[in-house]
Amino acid sequence: MISLNLIGYLTYLPITFYITFYVGGVLYRSGEAFLADIFEGNKALGHAYNTFLLTGYYLLNLGYATMSITWWNAIENTGQLVNELALRLGVIIMALGIIHYFNMYAFWRFAPKLKELYENLNKSST
Amino acid sequence: MDTPFIVIAYSVYLPVTIMLTYYVARVLFRNGKVFMLDIFRGREEIAFATNKLFQVGFYLLNIGFALLMLKAETGVYNTQGLFEILSLKVGRFSIYLGVMLFANLYLFFRGKRKSKENQLRAEGKLAEPIQERERPKYI
Repeated sequence: MISLNLIGYLTYLPITFYITFYVGGVLYRSGEAFLADIFEGNKALGHAYNTFLLTGYYLLNLGYATMSITWWNAIENTGQLVNELALRLGVIIMALGIIHYFNMYAFWRFAPKLKELYENLNKSST
Repeated sequence: MDTPFIVIAYSVYLPVTIMLTYYVARVLFRNGKVFMLDIFRGREEIAFATNKLFQVGFYLLNIGFALLMLKAETGVYNTQGLFEILSLKVGRFSIYLGVMLFANLYLFFRGKRKSKENQLRAEGKLAEPIQERERPKYI
């Protein structure tokens, strides 16, 4: 017995998972260069930090995307199905975009400071 | 009698959360070794031991939490309900795990800062910490 809600969930979940993984991969690959820059030369540490960030991002994002299924309205016809899908996908994709810009801002704002701190620590310890 | 939906929900929920914990712990502590070596300045034995201790704590805390949160608040009567309850449970647990991951990361960074401070202090480049004032003695 398949209800329209169930069809909605089964469409929604693969799409959000795919988008999350795709965006995560892009961030991971480009972030590597930034982190190598911040943790001067210590590539292992930068890589470890990057992996933490990626895992945390997946957990929070996929967790939220999955959990938000509980807040769907009851769907009675195909029109409502399309409506609901568009709404929910729109929310999650827009949230991703906003978080993405926020991340870029954080890098731009804090990277020089972190770098300076790391350099100073290394200087004073040698 | 058919298997009740709630039993199906539980028997999906438990393996999924435990696998999730296992996977996150693996990522966290494989990379944690690098942090620990950095904190303990290459003393492998103590670095790996500390890593292991953190790992055991992480497993206990999170599997315990997964079990505690097992009970479903609402009844499950059909496939749609099964999907909804599982999504809520697994999603909530995943967010919780993400928060725990970042909490562990905070501990790692704190350890790094402390280790740096101690090193600088040993070299005489940092003032000794201000001693806490002696507590007044009450009779």
